[in-house]
Amino acid sequence: MKRTPVDQGALFFLIKKIRPELAAHIEKAKMIETIIIGLGSQGTKHAGLMKEFGTNITAGVSVGRGGTRIHEVIPVYERVKDCLKEHPNIAVASIWRHYSGVRDIVIDVIESGIPIVVLITEGIPLKDVRDIIVAARKHNTILFGGNTPGIIFPPEGIKIGMLPDIFYPEEKTEDEFGPRGVTIISRSGAILYHLSDALASVGVAQNAVLGIGGDGAIGTRFIDIVPLIQQYQNTDLIVIAGEIGGIQEEYLAEDIAAHPEKYQIPMVALISGANAPPGKTMGHAGAIITPGQEYGTFKTKKEALEKAGVTVVNSQYELVKTVQEILEGWKYFSIKRYQEKMTKTWEEPPKKAEWATLITKVQPNNLIIAGYPLKEIIKKKTFTETAYLLIKGEFPQTGEIKELEKIALKAIEFSVPEVKVHENEDISKTIAKLLLLDEALANYCIQENKNPTSQLMFCLGRVARYLSSILENDEVLVHIDNNQPFSHAIYQIFTGEKSIDDKKAKLLESMIVASVDHGVTPPSAQATIIAATVRAAYEVAVAQGVSAITDVHGGAGAKAAEFFKKCATLARNKNIDLAEATHENISIYMKEGKRIQGLGHRFHTKDPRRDVLWIKAKHAGVAGECVQISKIITDVFNRVRGITLPINVDGVIGAIVADLGLNPIIAKAVFIYGRIAGLSAHYFEEIASQPQMRRINFSEAVYKGKKVRKLK
Amino acid sequence: MKLYEHESKKVFEIHGIPIPKQYGVVHSVNEVETLDLKFPVMAKAAVLIGGRGKAGGIKKANSLKEAKDITAKLLKLRIKEYPVETVFFEEALEERGACYVGVTTDPKTFNNMLVVSASGGVEIEEVSRMRPEAIMRWEIVNNDRVLQNSIIEEVVSLISQEIQFSSKQKEVFSSIIDNVYRTYQDIDAKLCEINPVLITPETVIAVDAKIVLDDNGLYRQSKLLDSLGITSRRHDIAEPTPNEKKAINHGFPYVDLLPLITSKEKDTLYVGLVPGGAGYGIFSIDEVVNIGNEFFEEKIVPINFMDSGGGPPQNQVAQMFHILMDYPLTDIIITSRFGGISSCDIFIRGLIQALRERYRNNQHIVPVYGRMVGTDLPSAKNYLEKAKKETPEALQSMHIEVGNEKIMADIIKEGIKRGLEIKKEVSA
Repeated sequence: MKRTPVDQGALFFLIKKIRPELAAHIEKAKMIETIIIGLGSQGTKHAGLMKEFGTNITAGVSVGRGGTRIHEVIPVYERVKDCLKEHPNIAVASIWRHYSGVRDIVIDVIESGIPIVVLITEGIPLKDVRDIIVAARKHNTILFGGNTPGIIFPPEGIKIGMLPDIFYPEEKTEDEFGPRGVTIISRSGAILYHLSDALASVGVAQNAVLGIGGDGAIGTRFIDIVPLIQQYQNTDLIVIAGEIGGIQEEYLAEDIAAHPEKYQIPMVALISGANAPPGKTMGHAGAIITPGQEYGTFKTKKEALEKAGVTVVNSQYELVKTVQEILEGWKYFSIKRYQEKMTKTWEEPPKKAEWATLITKVQPNNLIIAGYPLKEIIKKKTFTETAYLLIKGEFPQTGEIKELEKIALKAIEFSVPEVKVHENEDISKTIAKLLLLDEALANYCIQENKNPTSQLMFCLGRVARYLSSILENDEVLVHIDNNQPFSHAIYQIFTGEKSIDDKKAKLLESMIVASVDHGVTPPSAQATIIAATVRAAYEVAVAQGVSAITDVHGGAGAKAAEFFKKCATLARNKNIDLAEATHENISIYMKEGKRIQGLGHRFHTKDPRRDVLWIKAKHAGVAGECVQISKIITDVFNRVRGITLPINVDGVIGAIVADLGLNPIIAKAVFIYGRIAGLSAHYFEEIASQPQMRRINFSEAVYKGKKVRKLK
Repeated sequence: MKLYEHESKKVFEIHGIPIPKQYGVVHSVNEVETLDLKFPVMAKAAVLIGGRGKAGGIKKANSLKEAKDITAKLLKLRIKEYPVETVFFEEALEERGACYVGVTTDPKTFNNMLVVSASGGVEIEEVSRMRPEAIMRWEIVNNDRVLQNSIIEEVVSLISQEIQFSSKQKEVFSSIIDNVYRTYQDIDAKLCEINPVLITPETVIAVDAKIVLDDNGLYRQSKLLDSLGITSRRHDIAEPTPNEKKAINHGFPYVDLLPLITSKEKDTLYVGLVPGGAGYGIFSIDEVVNIGNEFFEEKIVPINFMDSGGGPPQNQVAQMFHILMDYPLTDIIITSRFGGISSCDIFIRGLIQALRERYRNNQHIVPVYGRMVGTDLPSAKNYLEKAKKETPEALQSMHIEVGNEKIMADIIKEGIKRGLEIKKEVSA
């Protein structure tokens, strides 16, 4: 069904009444921007439900959580004014904070000029409410609540608050909603369901349902809001749902009697509490009959309203009858369609749980980072640019790259923590140990805790320094200067060569870029994300991820390089061709029960990183025997075992490392080094967009980042 | 939350308002002797309900014997059904006149309202009705924390036109007005009232005092509550009934609508309600009465208010039904789960849990008529169907419609009809 445009709806009408300039903007933008304040479990949950219903949730505000996100994409600001700086056209704020700390923020919101404020909070001290009301009156704010279930506008599909999706609008045609209907203005939430139910059972639509709040003192009273709705051109009837306690119904009646010209649209009042015993509070603070008072009872309200010419009802049957009489039996929609819609809504199986990542989309034979295919990134972008993309979702400006690389180059200067390295120690374990003991890194991260890209670049500089030590290439350090590209420093450190072969340096960089990320499911990413949910320090979480990179996950490159070298040697020694030598070696491995590394993948039959690396190796003049073997090994393996296992990125990297004549362990170092960028991105994303210590089901993750785009 | 008069006086005294000498509080006649009474004294029943004076709750005593006799009488007194459990004594004063001073939140505008009258000492509502011109009101618009001097001066000068104050009396009266307002703001009060501010030959003094605290502000008034020895939130007027106490323990709002001792009439159907949120809780009471009046010959009486909304957990739902089924008055229960915030699934599980527990323990089961729609309906429906197959005997008195093809009024009407039929079958 097509919704009614926002600028024809009741919410727009109210905004226009008090902020015509903002209304003019909304007319152009065709959207009403709202914010959520107070992001506890209720506020956060309902932010999601409102968004689902169709409300435009622009941002959240929560002290101490500025810079993070809720529902993965809604930005959170520290203060209302920070939010308004970025989003000046906020028209509605809903406030969900606890009663003990809500006064100041509501006044803040009101003073910021936001015209519609929906105060969900229940139980605010009366003294604070009075301060809030003073501010709202001064700034001409329409304040719903406190203790309101919210407001909902079914034709436009906007709701602010916690009302369920049960209110049904006019059907203008079979596939388009219209703005006409009955407007309900109510003190209580639960009663609304039964009002709506009764009206809908005879085909009467609701164009707006406004909960004004059940507390003893509230912002917008019947006397404030009813006359406004009386001017709304699409309302045919107003239902005033009042209850015992207070004097607001009587007060409204007084005004109706004194100024009947303001009240041209017919009204029906449903008043609850005809049979309530005096002196007892019934759930709502407002709903108490005070013995001896001459207002606040069902009788005083009924008499006052009837004297003013408003029909008062006290049951669903009476309501339905009266409304039908006034509307002369008009039906706004097909009751059958309404019933079907309700049945469908209620019978829908619960939504599959999911959570989102904006970093990497993993598809069979395709990896997409922030919308860009990884194979394109490998082809065209540097590691620094890719690292930045992972964190920020966009590539850096050309001017920024140099500054970022300076951070990494600077980080290389600090010495390596002293650790004992055992013989045959997995390189991932060594790097993890160093990360945990690195004072320079820990200090930097504390200082730069709001800047993830700087932290990542510093970390990459540090790990480069560890590698120079692990690979025993420390003598190149003196040849690294602060103005050279970072990729050159990486080349020097990985290869131990003082002078730079630009083609080879680029090839090495491509392999690192090829390893950066594979979404949230690889064990290393899971380890880092789990550390992030308990808010471990950055370097600790990265160390967790790195230590999960073992021979089983990510370590295949080194083993593959050794295997390829073995095959090439055998071919040379026996003077047989590569395929035959490979065949022989595979057979030996099989007999010994050993696995051939670098083959097969959980997702990909044709690894998206494969071809681009082969091509790069060829262009760099590096592709030799091992790359050749990596291209034929799948076929050869099939001939030995009858199974097709495609070569994966580890296998390709292993082959290139072997052809570069480098230590096979560098294949694994390349993988770890690249993957640190991805792990870091997952760490920062988790911190920014998820509650701490959440229960994580990694298979529920969904990519909700940028749509696929072309890399220029 | 209302404070007793002697508590209110203590609060006012702390805030610099003169009060008569307080001799203390007793709960039995024997305790009277322990007080160091200087006669004459006033003996006052400590009750939260109004109309105490008219009901004979305030007496002057000129001797210890008289004080004891009065105490014995007062402790037997019931004021508007509420028994007197506490009596307190204070100095008796000579009266030359009486004013009224009160501060509250105006129910129309929600601004603070200072109310003053030179006609104190009688029920202010009565004065308001008979001689509205005798009551003066000042609306304080900005929720000011203290009264402006100009307002105090204006009040005193207007009252002075009717009452001849000495300069000392004038000074004390000004400070009382100032301090009542301060007290109201300081302690999160809904109402601070002194009636009368008694004019004695020498001074003016707060002889009766009434404070109603804002329940929502109680959390930050622990210092005040501690000073009064109040440890838990006080019930509105009377002590909670046994049903109400159970509900408080289980954490949901519940109010008995009938007096504690109600003998069950044969031709009356007593309807218990597990209705949903507070608003429908109030409304469903009306629905039962209205449907009873319109469609049935017999008397149909709702017996309780309950707020079962806001997403109660399963065990709490079960307790809601247990309380009503344990209550001998209940003939049938009408229930509604309109799942918005709350879940139909949790609701039906709670209801079935209660019924199975009762069946297993041979406890009385009351027929339940209701409807559920909304959040989690599919899983609730599945659970209901499965449960009916598993334990048909335990659930045979449960009649829950699924979906909203019938509105609640229809469900109530049918439930009442069936309830009356069953009642007739049983008595026949």
